[in-house]
Amino acid sequence: MTMSINIPGGLPRARVRSQTVSGIVAMIIGIGLLAALVAMPWWAGQGTIRSVVELCCYIAIAQMWNLLAGYGGLVSVGQQAFSGVAAYMMFALAQNMGVNPFVAVPLCLIAPAILAVPTYALLHRLDGPYFAIGTWVVAEVVRLLTTNFSYVNAGAGMSLRVMTQYSAHERAIGVTILCALMLLVTVGGTYWLLRSRYGLALTAMRDNPVSAASQGVNVSRLRFLLFVAGAVGTGLAGAIYFMAQLRITPDSAYGPQWATVAIFIVMIGGIGSIEGVLIGSFIYFFADRWFGEYGATYLVVLGVLTLLVALFARGGVWSLVNKLVDAPWFPTRRVLVSGGGQ
Amino acid sequence: MQWLDGFIQGILLGGLYAQYALGMALMFGVMRIVNISHGDLMILLALIGVSLSVSFGLGPFVLLLVLVPIAAAIGYVLQRGILNRVVSQDPLPSIIATFGLSIALQNAMQQIWSADTRSIPGGGIEQASWQIGTIFIGVLPVIVLIVATALTGGIDALLRFTKFGRALRASAADVEAAALTGVNPQAVYAWATALAVGILGFAAVFQGLRSTVAPSDGPAQLIYAFEAVIIGGMGSIWGAFLGSMVLGVSQAIGFRINPGFGILAGHLVFLAVLAFRPQGIFGRS
Repeated sequence: MTMSINIPGGLPRARVRSQTVSGIVAMIIGIGLLAALVAMPWWAGQGTIRSVVELCCYIAIAQMWNLLAGYGGLVSVGQQAFSGVAAYMMFALAQNMGVNPFVAVPLCLIAPAILAVPTYALLHRLDGPYFAIGTWVVAEVVRLLTTNFSYVNAGAGMSLRVMTQYSAHERAIGVTILCALMLLVTVGGTYWLLRSRYGLALTAMRDNPVSAASQGVNVSRLRFLLFVAGAVGTGLAGAIYFMAQLRITPDSAYGPQWATVAIFIVMIGGIGSIEGVLIGSFIYFFADRWFGEYGATYLVVLGVLTLLVALFARGGVWSLVNKLVDAPWFPTRRVLVSGGGQ
Repeated sequence: MQWLDGFIQGILLGGLYAQYALGMALMFGVMRIVNISHGDLMILLALIGVSLSVSFGLGPFVLLLVLVPIAAAIGYVLQRGILNRVVSQDPLPSIIATFGLSIALQNAMQQIWSADTRSIPGGGIEQASWQIGTIFIGVLPVIVLIVATALTGGIDALLRFTKFGRALRASAADVEAAALTGVNPQAVYAWATALAVGILGFAAVFQGLRSTVAPSDGPAQLIYAFEAVIIGGMGSIWGAFLGSMVLGVSQAIGFRINPGFGILAGHLVFLAVLAFRPQGIFGRS
């Protein structure tokens, strides 16, 4: 796909290519996979569906973390505040107020959006690494408040009993459609964002926030919007994850394992790229399946791997792949084909 | 009377938090990095302390003499092996590296020491107390506070009056200019982290004596240290000390209002400081 850009000042029209063959192939495969995901209740068993829903939630949460850390320079270790608060809101709407649970999933996103505004307003004053720990404090505050809040059954947690009105097949249909929508919004939305004119601003900000600001990018406004968008996307994943689990407790909803998963996936896969998140999610998903039984030892290896990537291979797996072949699945580069001066 | 009691116990608790917070303030002031595994290192040292005192029957003061050099050595190796590679303007690498280390440490400790809570036997000192009117003041918490005050004063003097302190402050202000004048930043950083983790050696022994430690306790201690530093005002050693007192008093008073509210009260005071006085209570704007 090429597009023509009129350059003021009498220069000839520039032709810019922003799509590649690999991108088109990847998009066709992606649409096929989404269709297969929605059709799962008719071809897959309950266990497979549960695993795939989990994988989709990992992808969404990691992609939102990637958007914040990889492009916004906002390193958070407390995104569980948003997935947890959205999931709890969904449980409260569906279980306590009688809202249809599948309708409650989009409605509950108001909670992370509202929480994100004061959180950002307070924490943006903190320097890089202190911002990260600040997000953790916010997650702890929300966890402690939930633990003391009898409306959502305090520390004992809640069960989504209203789901028993649907058969297992109906539940599977609802959850897989929600998952497909979640991937469209988080992964597809990021792709769309990066290809839009905001994408140029985000990429500039990723590479150097100071020079991006000097080129007219409103860095602080963009960071705020990213933070709210990241909170909502993470919240959506939390709501769907706990809808599939049918049960929530403050410790499972606000546990730091969410941050661990997101950071591991993005760092191993490759920060600042959508492909990296997908690769990282698959690696984490299968590692968890194959080695999860080793418990603490497995987590030691996970931690050490994260450390080693931060020390020696900051680009993760995707940057290694990139060195071998130039075939982006989600091309966001603009390549000048002709024109634009001499 | 229970509020006065809460205040006094809070100040004494703050003495322990100051020992966590000092090292964090020092490392951030010098290198602009935060070690996410700060709390886990303290727990690791405390568990090593538990094992040493059980295996060799060491008393608390001998244990301090053994554990603080071990802690300093761990800090030195940590900086030389890992942190020197991730010190940069970009906060991401240092956060990710120490976050990974934190996960690995927590789970490794769980493998070695199991998830049980343990404490360091103090030979009776942990129960001794003075009674003033209706208020009981523990001997051990008073010792903790005195040690914390001495450590804070010592570090402050070290930064002000010694050649090493000048090199540290020079590296903090402008690392390249410091290097031009003959300071070796890598070495200065390594000694700064050795100092910071060395202080955690004190914190580890006192935490193990005062209450219990378990492999998963580290993140909470990291958060307390962080809150103390921010409440007090970034970049100031005495600010971190006073921030620890504010945090300790907030938690102790909150705990007396409602046992479920203690920790939360500390977090809320931290958020209030961020909202109304982001430079910290004792910081200059």
